[in-house]
Amino acid sequence: MTMLIANALAAGAAEAAEAAPKMDPLHHFQVIKVIPISLFGIDVSISNSVIWIWIALGIALGLLRYGLRAPQLVPGRMQSMAEASLLFVRGIINDTIGKEGQKFFPLIFSLFLFVLFCNVTGLIPGSFTPTSQLVVTGTFAVGVFIFSTGLGFYKHGTHYFKFFVPGGLPVLLLPLMVPIEIISYLARPVSLSVRLFANMTAGHTVLGVLFFFTATLPWFGAWLPFGFSVVFTAVEGFIGFIQAYIFTILTCVYINDALHMH
Amino acid sequence: MIAIAHAAEGAAAGHASSSGLPQFDVLNFSSQIFWTIVSFAVLLYLLTRFVIPAINAILDARGKSIEDDLSQAKKAREEAEKILANYHKELGAARQEAGKILEQARLEASRLREQVKSELEQESAKKKSAALEEIELAKQRVIEEIKGLAVDLAIDATHKLIGKAVTKTDANKMVEQVMTQLKDDQQRAH
Repeated sequence: MTMLIANALAAGAAEAAEAAPKMDPLHHFQVIKVIPISLFGIDVSISNSVIWIWIALGIALGLLRYGLRAPQLVPGRMQSMAEASLLFVRGIINDTIGKEGQKFFPLIFSLFLFVLFCNVTGLIPGSFTPTSQLVVTGTFAVGVFIFSTGLGFYKHGTHYFKFFVPGGLPVLLLPLMVPIEIISYLARPVSLSVRLFANMTAGHTVLGVLFFFTATLPWFGAWLPFGFSVVFTAVEGFIGFIQAYIFTILTCVYINDALHMH
Repeated sequence: MIAIAHAAEGAAAGHASSSGLPQFDVLNFSSQIFWTIVSFAVLLYLLTRFVIPAINAILDARGKSIEDDLSQAKKAREEAEKILANYHKELGAARQEAGKILEQARLEASRLREQVKSELEQESAKKKSAALEEIELAKQRVIEEIKGLAVDLAIDATHKLIGKAVTKTDANKMVEQVMTQLKDDQQRAH
């Protein structure tokens, strides 16, 4: 008897779940393969994530190209924006690394634009946010880690290992400090990638939940999550910029550490 | 009870397959890593090749233009200052010149006045001396006349008194003597 009731209850619950709109704010992080490609047995399919990377970079390059279609000494609005983006990154490099950091300018500028435009285009309804993919941010973080570490060894040779030995410490503390330094150094790519990925994921998840409530609540309740979603979209735009800025500035800091070893 | 447990288990299994962060789905990793690297490389190439040089060129051009404008403005200012200094110098020279001319005019005027004055003085002095001469001459003549008359009178008088004619020369001498006497008296009286 109890079994029957339980079965019926379970069936009823399942039915209800089927009928009601299902809340799945993580749905839009789903990577969907559009064109499956396999290269030497490795999957390099073009997915929605990859397509939105291209769209974001296309918009970035398109805007820059449009701003620079006929450069004037007295710039127009778009030209000013293009120049401002370059000067912004140049300023970050000058502030964190100094003049000799300018030889890494193209790299850092590309990184900034990539992250910024992936973050911001992700706010277009129905789009996909490539920077909400841990593997995308991880690729950059590992790339930056390898680049800065390589730079450190290239610049200082084996002397770069002294980076893990903080100066001015009693020798007794060294067995404690050196592992901490090594761990914090190795944690850099993790924190760098997870920060960006988590920010993007969290923001978009919150937006997804708000949109779900807006769509499912009756009209007298829907305005509240709708209003929140409007405000939060603006906040997300700001966060997208801030995270791109943080990613860039931390990259600069790591390069600076490699060049100057604090 | 078991059924509920079963249902819950099934639901949990379904949940796990449908949600959970899709970002941790390892199946999608290789393609995204590959395309991220490729896309980044392409972006880096396009930026380095087209965008950065274009912006740098225009920034440099603007910097150069501003620098040129600044130096030109500086030059123009220097020139203006030079012109101003020149103008001041010329003004000073003109003022000095004017002062000199004025001074000269003043000198000329005073010189002319002096000249006219001295000429007038000379003339009047000449006229005066001429008049004095004339007066002196008249006086002399009158004196001579009086003297002649006095001599004649003296001759007449002596002739009448003593019946003896006095020669003209003696009479003259006497008159002369009297006159000097008179002159002396006059001088003493003064």
